[in-house]
Amino acid sequence: MNPRDITTFILAGGKGERLHPLTKDRTKPAVPFGGIYRMIDFPLSNAINSGLRKIYIFTQYKSLSLHRHIREGWNIFSRELGEFIDLVPAQKRIGEDWYQGTADSVFQNINILEDEKPKLILLLSGDQVYKMDYRRMIDFHLANKSDFTISVFEVPLSEAHRFGVLRVENDRVVEFREKPSEPSPDPRNPEVCLISMGIYVANLDILIKKVVEDAKKTNSSHDFGKDIIPSMIGSGNVFAFRFIDENKKETKYWHDIGTIDAYWEANMDLVNVDPLLNLYDREWPIRTFQEQYPPAKTVFSGEERKASVTDSMISGGCIISGGRVSHSVLSTNVRVNSYAEITDSIVFENVNIGRHSKINKAIIDKKVTVPSNTEIGYNLEADRKRFYVSDKGIVVIPKNYKW
Amino acid sequence: MSKKKILLVEDEENESLLYKEELEKEGFEVISSSNGADAVEKIANEECDLVILDLQMPQMDGIETLGKILTKKRDMPIIIYTAYPQYKNQFLTWAADAYLTKSSDLGPLKRKVKTILGEK
Repeated sequence: MNPRDITTFILAGGKGERLHPLTKDRTKPAVPFGGIYRMIDFPLSNAINSGLRKIYIFTQYKSLSLHRHIREGWNIFSRELGEFIDLVPAQKRIGEDWYQGTADSVFQNINILEDEKPKLILLLSGDQVYKMDYRRMIDFHLANKSDFTISVFEVPLSEAHRFGVLRVENDRVVEFREKPSEPSPDPRNPEVCLISMGIYVANLDILIKKVVEDAKKTNSSHDFGKDIIPSMIGSGNVFAFRFIDENKKETKYWHDIGTIDAYWEANMDLVNVDPLLNLYDREWPIRTFQEQYPPAKTVFSGEERKASVTDSMISGGCIISGGRVSHSVLSTNVRVNSYAEITDSIVFENVNIGRHSKINKAIIDKKVTVPSNTEIGYNLEADRKRFYVSDKGIVVIPKNYKW
Repeated sequence: MSKKKILLVEDEENESLLYKEELEKEGFEVISSSNGADAVEKIANEECDLVILDLQMPQMDGIETLGKILTKKRDMPIIIYTAYPQYKNQFLTWAADAYLTKSSDLGPLKRKVKTILGEK
């Protein structure tokens, strides 16, 4: 199918409350990841790498940071050729309400579908980290003459109760249950369940019919996962597409980062010798916006006052000035001063770590100056009095925190 | 049993009077609106069971009115009654329970009203 006949909607309106305080000032798709990226860079890069060039991003909560990132970093298309990435903030086009759910965000932008009249709509979530060629899913959708196709991911039986679980027969979806206590296993492999990834391909008429139908319901939360999909099972022609991973590792990689602990772990993966997520594959590049900074630099190599960086990712503009960084991810323009130590941590842009400070298992959000001789992550009782500390003991210093 | 109440939204006065009369003969109570803004206000303030909605109206047209009615009373049954079949490609009209093209024969409209209100 000609990619011009496909319109992509990225649903980026979520609050991401479970990632608080990282989402205190920004919507979840705008949360930084891996030093230089934002979460939305992943679905966007996937779409571009899949040849899709008509992209709308629906935004709602705390969207300034996301809008800025898209405007500065993703203004890469030629509208003259009918290619674009358009940001669509909630506009109350139809009624007086903001988007009530993902399905409602499509309903409220139904005028876009009238104008575009695409044959297919690809619906993506703006806050998942994965690499996927959507063309394979679209081909599957067309080959099966599907009305609505759901991309599915295999998870172990024991974890499936946290997700929306599908039961399939010959790739056709015959049951969908949200967070089931007894999830149905995959008929091909009884050890795993198939869960919805929140990635859908829909025919135009079906999508319109379903979101309009849903808009008339008073008892609906107007969400694809909770309302639209369950209403289609049985009557509809709904297929499950088994996720094909462009990450090309032994284990398939798809991360819907829902908690601070999961966020920390997904970042820490990147500093492993052989990370699960491969950011180096030039056949499936992930692009982003970066301010221009000089390369990362280390200074001082004396006996005691010595810069050292091990098992870490250090972004441009960072200066490790007589301090030590190990097993950490540093975003752009971070200064680590003499005798300071950072271990197992994630540090966002424009952070200054004072002399003799020790940071362990922490996430430091943007624009924070850590005073000299500060200890974070060594006495969680003390940290808890000032900061959010996750179940696994990750301390989060919020953006602009002042000592 | 109290009469079912219909809100008739129609800007053309003579048509409005005709439909009102005919529907009242069928035993319904009919209140009329001659424009979208008034219809939205009536929906918010009065109980009614069904809306018959013209599409081409000055100021707020029927499609915009439909959207506003939907967000006030999501499950309100709506019949679009218009001279123009081509508005079906405006997808918001799909939210109506029926889309009827006007004709001199009011039979199809009356039957549709009865079906929808009978179901309710």
